[in-house]
Amino acid sequence: MSSSDSSSSSASDDPNPKLKPQPLESQFQSSLTLEDSDGVARTDDASVAEQQQEQQDEGSGNGSVDGVVNVEDNGHRDSSDREEGIGSGEARDGDGGSGGGGGVVWRRANSEVELEVEAPASPSSSGYAGGRGSSGASSASRADDASEEDEIEVVGNDDGGAVGAPDSQAEWTPGKRHVDEDDASISWRKRKKHFFILSNSGKPIYSRYGDEHKLAGFSATLQAIISFVENGGDRVKYVKAGMHQVVFLVKGPIYLVCISCTEEPFESLVAQLELVYGQMILILTKSLNRCFEKNPKFDMTPLLGGTDVVFSALIHSFSWNPAAFLHAYACLPLPYATRQAAGAILQDVADSGVLFALLMCKHRVGTSLKVISLVGAQKASLHPDDMLLLGNFIMSSESFRQVTSESFSPICLPRYNPMAFLHAYVHYFDADTYLILLTTRSDAFYHLKDCRIRIETVLLKSNVLSEVQRSTLDGGMRVEDLSVDLQQHTGSTSRVEDKPHTETPERIRESSLVGLGGPAGLWHFLYRSVYLDQYVSSEFSSPINTHRQQKRLYRAYQKLYVSMHSKGIGPHKTQFRRDENYVLLCWVTPDFELYAAFDPLADKALAIKTCNKVCQWVKDVENEIFLLGASPFSW
Amino acid sequence: MPSRRRTLLKVIILGDSGVGKTSLMNQYVNKKFSNQYKATIGADFLTKEVQFEDRLFTLQIWDTAGQERFQSLGVAFYRGADCCVLVYDVNSMKSFDNLNNWREEFLIQASPSDPENFPFVVLGNKIDVDGGNSRVVSEKKARAWCASKGNIPYFETSAKEGINVEEAFQVIAKDALKSGEEEEIYLPDTIDVGSSSQPRSSGCEC
Repeated sequence: MSSSDSSSSSASDDPNPKLKPQPLESQFQSSLTLEDSDGVARTDDASVAEQQQEQQDEGSGNGSVDGVVNVEDNGHRDSSDREEGIGSGEARDGDGGSGGGGGVVWRRANSEVELEVEAPASPSSSGYAGGRGSSGASSASRADDASEEDEIEVVGNDDGGAVGAPDSQAEWTPGKRHVDEDDASISWRKRKKHFFILSNSGKPIYSRYGDEHKLAGFSATLQAIISFVENGGDRVKYVKAGMHQVVFLVKGPIYLVCISCTEEPFESLVAQLELVYGQMILILTKSLNRCFEKNPKFDMTPLLGGTDVVFSALIHSFSWNPAAFLHAYACLPLPYATRQAAGAILQDVADSGVLFALLMCKHRVGTSLKVISLVGAQKASLHPDDMLLLGNFIMSSESFRQVTSESFSPICLPRYNPMAFLHAYVHYFDADTYLILLTTRSDAFYHLKDCRIRIETVLLKSNVLSEVQRSTLDGGMRVEDLSVDLQQHTGSTSRVEDKPHTETPERIRESSLVGLGGPAGLWHFLYRSVYLDQYVSSEFSSPINTHRQQKRLYRAYQKLYVSMHSKGIGPHKTQFRRDENYVLLCWVTPDFELYAAFDPLADKALAIKTCNKVCQWVKDVENEIFLLGASPFSW
Repeated sequence: MPSRRRTLLKVIILGDSGVGKTSLMNQYVNKKFSNQYKATIGADFLTKEVQFEDRLFTLQIWDTAGQERFQSLGVAFYRGADCCVLVYDVNSMKSFDNLNNWREEFLIQASPSDPENFPFVVLGNKIDVDGGNSRVVSEKKARAWCASKGNIPYFETSAKEGINVEEAFQVIAKDALKSGEEEEIYLPDTIDVGSSSQPRSSGCEC
């Protein structure tokens, strides 16, 4: 889907982007707004079938009339993208339904697109069987939710249960699955997202699913495709085959391939392959290139032995960790003084020959990492991607995770210096909180151990660890806590320091009884501070409360991110997009980026107002949700 | 990344078109033979797990097309090969004469570190045809050529009857394994922050 489906104003509209951003309202005054039905531009039959079903879901769930979606279009937009799928004024029969009556008619008349569901849908050819008919699904549990897992596309018969019992990250078991499969297995072929690493001689190094050795023939085929194009002095970026996208990334002697039918944009998949490569560099450094130069037969698999779990955890995180596509890290909300206390002692050890000191904790759901504090020796700075990869490496490796044990391991930070190792001292203070000290000296174990003891003493004395535990239990910003009236806002995350404060009447704390969504239908937001390389995400609230819905929302954000940043059509400043799942609003300024999701029926003016409030709220509490005063994290 | 150490060997099969490369591979991997000739387009890939001296390893067999129009695929296909199997048809002198070209082409394209000792295996195929009456390349002649090229192991095979196929691939595995044995210790540098030339990545190389 092209972002021309949505309104956007390009950065070039702004004569002076250095100026403080104007309120979002004024940004929209001069820009177009399109309320669109997602996927209208898609032309293939399968998506028509899906669309048909999605429309039905909306019809039943949100009470929109007869499944008809009106697309507001003020005609200013370049509609050429859409013309490919729907000729002007031309009716097109959707033939996605396999036989029997359930046709969709696309109609384009002047600047209005209507989508009519004429009859109860027939089963779609893609095998989604759930949600047929108007009573089959609700908006909160969508029929194709089940297929959102990167798993075999299964009939979505568990949707009903999914609403009451949110499936959490905890269900995800680390490590490689389905090792018995190979490319001849039907189940293997149906997996929605494959990742492969291979050498430029076609030897398999890693496969997300299946046994690498059994996939040797498949891996050879991938190499043949890449090398064939390379021989012609060209480079293959991706291949589209039906619903599948095959994305290639060549990194010297290492080839990385993703095969996906998740409809994620090409840019996202390439960025994910870059991270997979970075994870490999973190484990082995780029010196492995030398091994291939000396010996093209070089087999890397023994060097990577036992790291399956690291790669599969990373790939899993692409679906639920916004850090992976935002290229930013998240902090645990903490009172300013607490974070200062932690930072001070870390700074103390950094001055004694530690290159980086990081105090991190695990998010209570899943294995997402949050930073408590981090410090770099003078001039040294950490790239957020390196932090993601380092955190993933440490949290996914069981051997690090023994509480009270100490580990010392060589690791490489690909964005810091991809050629050489650092040494990491890792210690878990409790099940969730851990310390990483990075040094250049391979003999520094005892020194780092002493540093850790000093740090631990200070953290205990200043109650940092107990504050951390409290914060992980309390969670972060909740959309329900966004005060309706900005003027009355006291400026604090409720969870962090608000407790002693008196409650303002507007802020009825309903969040404890499962969130109800925020004002103006606000469901969720992500706020990324450009200068800090940090982001903050609101807690998930109803109706985004199953893992699948969360994953779907992240995918939508990810698409939005790409459409805002892609070089071809961007950069843009604002985007307002309405589809059958959400209203998505994105606002990019030189200082921050805001991604917000609303109820699909949310009012646009109110949504824009609410986004302004969110930004104000974030600014009010930035002392607590961000790590401030750290060295700038860019080179 | 299997936790148990297994070795993967890349085996390239070369030879003129129609000498029976694909048939040999099919006989070896699938224990099947078909009289119908289907030209290989580019390359075919098959895998076979083999146990050898208590070790499990996987042969990744690259069955290449013999036609000249596919020779441009060279470098890519030959890179990192552990063993090269040269096949000719004992009933075709030309296919035997061409072995020299195939061998040299391979050594140029693959440029192995020790070309003198790179493991080749030569197979004289189709010994079953016409009860051996149409044979034009004698075993003696073939063995002499193999000896002159550094004692390349030689087998007379029939993909159709399954003669010597298993035995030939055992030797292929053994030789490939031998040549892959020498292993270095992987020891990358550690960052030296003290030195003035602190390497810096641009941070935007992706």
